[in-house]
Amino acid sequence: MSQDTRGRDESSRWSSKRELDGARPAPPSLGLRGTLLFLWRQLTSMQTALILLMLLAIAAVPGSLYPQRSVNPALTEQFLAENGRWGEILDTLGFFDVFSSPWFSAIYLLLFISLIGCIVPRVGVHLRQLRAQPPRAPSRLTRFTGYTRRELPGADADTLLQSAHRALRRSRYRTAVREETRSRSVSAERGLLRESGNLLFHISLVGVLICIAGGQLTSYRGQITVIEGDGFSNSLTQYDSFESGAWFDETELPSFRFTLEDFRATYVQPGESGTVGEPRSFEADVAVTTPGQEQREQTIEVNKPLHVDGASMYLLGNGYAPEVTVTDPEGSVVAEGPVITVPMGDTGYTSQLVIKAPDARPEQTAVVGFFLPTGTIDENGPHSLYPDALDPQLALTVHQGDLGLDSGVPQNAYEVDVTTLTQVTDENGDPVLVRLYPGQEYELPDGTTISFDGLRRYAAFDVAHDPFERWTLVCALAATGGLILSLFIPRRRLWVRVREADGGAVLEVAGLARSDDPMLEEDVSKLADSLAGEEDGAGPDGLRDSGAPTPTDDHREGSAP
Amino acid sequence: MINQQLAELSNLALVVAIVLYVLALIGFAADLASSSQRRSDARLAAREAREAERAPQPATIGAGGASAGGAAIHGAEEAAPAPDAGADGPAPGTMTAQRFAFLLAGAATVLHIAGVVTRAIATQRVPWANMYEFATTSTAVVMVAFLAFCIRRAELRALGTFVVGPVLVVLLLAQTFWIVPAAALTPSLQNSHWLVIHISVAILATALSILGAVVASLQLLQSRHERALVQRAADGEEHPEHWGRFGHVLDRLPASSVLESLSFRVHSVAFVCWTFTLIFGAVWARDAWGRFWGWDPKEVWTFIIWVIYAAYLHARATGGFRGSRAAWVALAGFLAVVFNYTIVNTVINGLHSYSGL
Ligand code: HEM
Repeated sequence: MSQDTRGRDESSRWSSKRELDGARPAPPSLGLRGTLLFLWRQLTSMQTALILLMLLAIAAVPGSLYPQRSVNPALTEQFLAENGRWGEILDTLGFFDVFSSPWFSAIYLLLFISLIGCIVPRVGVHLRQLRAQPPRAPSRLTRFTGYTRRELPGADADTLLQSAHRALRRSRYRTAVREETRSRSVSAERGLLRESGNLLFHISLVGVLICIAGGQLTSYRGQITVIEGDGFSNSLTQYDSFESGAWFDETELPSFRFTLEDFRATYVQPGESGTVGEPRSFEADVAVTTPGQEQREQTIEVNKPLHVDGASMYLLGNGYAPEVTVTDPEGSVVAEGPVITVPMGDTGYTSQLVIKAPDARPEQTAVVGFFLPTGTIDENGPHSLYPDALDPQLALTVHQGDLGLDSGVPQNAYEVDVTTLTQVTDENGDPVLVRLYPGQEYELPDGTTISFDGLRRYAAFDVAHDPFERWTLVCALAATGGLILSLFIPRRRLWVRVREADGGAVLEVAGLARSDDPMLEEDVSKLADSLAGEEDGAGPDGLRDSGAPTPTDDHREGSAP
Repeated sequence: MINQQLAELSNLALVVAIVLYVLALIGFAADLASSSQRRSDARLAAREAREAERAPQPATIGAGGASAGGAAIHGAEEAAPAPDAGADGPAPGTMTAQRFAFLLAGAATVLHIAGVVTRAIATQRVPWANMYEFATTSTAVVMVAFLAFCIRRAELRALGTFVVGPVLVVLLLAQTFWIVPAAALTPSLQNSHWLVIHISVAILATALSILGAVVASLQLLQSRHERALVQRAADGEEHPEHWGRFGHVLDRLPASSVLESLSFRVHSVAFVCWTFTLIFGAVWARDAWGRFWGWDPKEVWTFIIWVIYAAYLHARATGGFRGSRAAWVALAGFLAVVFNYTIVNTVINGLHSYSGL
């Protein structure tokens, strides 16, 4: 009986996590140290991990239901404007920055502290286990899986034990042979890799978190807009917008240059299947020069970024840049060249155009309106019917007055506030609506002329780099590898006990599963059969696969029909 | 570019498959109903014997409870013999409702796959660019997985009703609400092999989640049923009954411990698939948008699904959560999957919004 208890002790100690599993009640009044210890045990218990995981899932939900500032700032502002007080409350609570809110951060930080507190001791226990011998066979095997007892008259206990040992070793068990009172036993153990995999999984999760944090600190991302025929050379001043992590160093910006040689877009044409006007493809041909290398040509597409050392460039947007010349009444050219227009988001690519001519005399001039790739003007006003430039035209109005560019307030180049300006009118006092086709010129009553000289396209790119990206992927894949080991490697023990009995031997075999292991029972009885069979002189059949089930062994129950 | 005739053929195949699924469903349901009527005292006796046998059986010390599960498998076999093997069943070779349903389900699955494949050929791309294609492809995978399980373990055929039913519902939804004409891909879905990898793994993961949820729900029902029966038997009832006809249906199904371990296996493979879905999705997002993670609603929900299934696997290893409570967590995970494909795709607008929906 005393031996029995020892056996139980052993098997509960077998799993490192058992010891950590569940919170042990704190002994009463242990003072500060005891309380801290108690809290730490609570935090690193499986229940806490489980609850934190569920909380993490729940906390992420509002991040998908409410617009997020980091994902879609415009939508967030709109939501705030529409929801007044309620919006403000939500904003204070962090519902528009869920993934950087204190409560979300608290949950995942606690989870990872719990995780580390959980892994560290388990690693120690596991390393010791890897070096230790498989533990002693329990004195009473009857209680264990697949228990088989055979009396083999005429069998030799030594040979039996040896062949059991050999068979188990061949099936990749770690084994230990032990002398016991009146008997000898082989303890065998397999599947420690399961725990190794589990630890690898959890450690790699910490790695993923560290890499993501590292990426946040060191990465950068900027937006650029390049018109066909123009070039770009990488430096901070060239970006429309740029954001970077706290540890980003400007000098790390790789120097590369490129010219956008051609931009092509194709759309679903009338008569083709699909929604007419829906984009089919976007292609940007660029000629790239990096230091120390020959210029190379590449076509950047959606999903096919340009990679240079230290940066990648993604095609994320495009639009039209009509070439417009504005001459003031005094005859000087006050605006010339391609103007980037901003698509309004309809399928027809109706695009907003703003030209500011602060140098125009006698008054500063702003030209605003629309570029229409396939234009029409009807009761809905000017708009475009189709995204390709089949019938390109400009629909513009002209405004004069102080553009306010000297006020010192930074201005958006694509917007102008016309409410403070006077619209140019004809002799009847009606606003002048300028409609221009390529090659045409329009003269306003005051002598200002506007000409539509040609059409180019532009492409918008994101340039981004995250030095930790690769390591994040490595950690994620390592975690997956560990996960697979941890889920699909069965962990088990087998015991063979041989006792000499008058003129023969008594064989006992049993196993213990430490994970889902439907094959264990069968493997135990197979081992018993083959050992007994060998002794009977039937030959060592089935020994080889006694512990290494082939997948086809799996359908005991499947043979019914 | 798009072969319209083939696309119509694909549609036809799917419609016929739906009809066959309906027939198969009727067959499976009829089988459950009739076999529950055939329930005999003998079977009841077998179960009592099983309970008696199980009581003194040592509980496994391990987390998995594998040996108890093993014993239960045998118990289930006795309690629920395959229809054509039981003494009161028809002779082998005759057409039982279940076999009829199984064959129909097989035929329907073949047509179903044909529909998916012809759609792919018609559009010259992988068939999962919109909700309709995603739904038809993933249900096909569910059926293949189910049939594969059934061929290996015949007693699982009894679950047919609970698998074909949901598949049918999804297919009908797809066919009525989500259907869009066959079309080529929008640029963001083009020229990326990651699209193929990411979404095929996602389909596999979804399919396994559906299957897992079916098994987990049955497990919950079954364990409640078993507990009630044991209770009644302990109260001295000679032929304990619980939940009437439906109880008889449950008697036909494998024991809750068998369902539990099946649910675990399905969910663990599903979890690995979800993990790959996340990773490949991140790789693809980096190629397409220049960042591997951006908390887009679809990404958020895949993350939520992953975390819930991780919680399920944890729960299974946590004292006090094993069994039914863990099964509830798994069902919560499935709820997130459903939410991800319905509300997130249709109501919440993100970068993932599929073309045409
Ligand atoms: C970052 C959060 C965590 C995630 C996503 C996570 C995920 C998982 C998953 C998916 C499994 C099942 C697969 C396997 O056996 O490897 C698992 C198992 C396990 N986890 Fe975690 N875990 C997390 C945190 C923790 C923490 C904080 C602890 C410590 C209390 C912990 C302890 C364990 C243990 C002991 C197992 C083995 C269970 C078994 O199969 O017997 N995990 N974890």
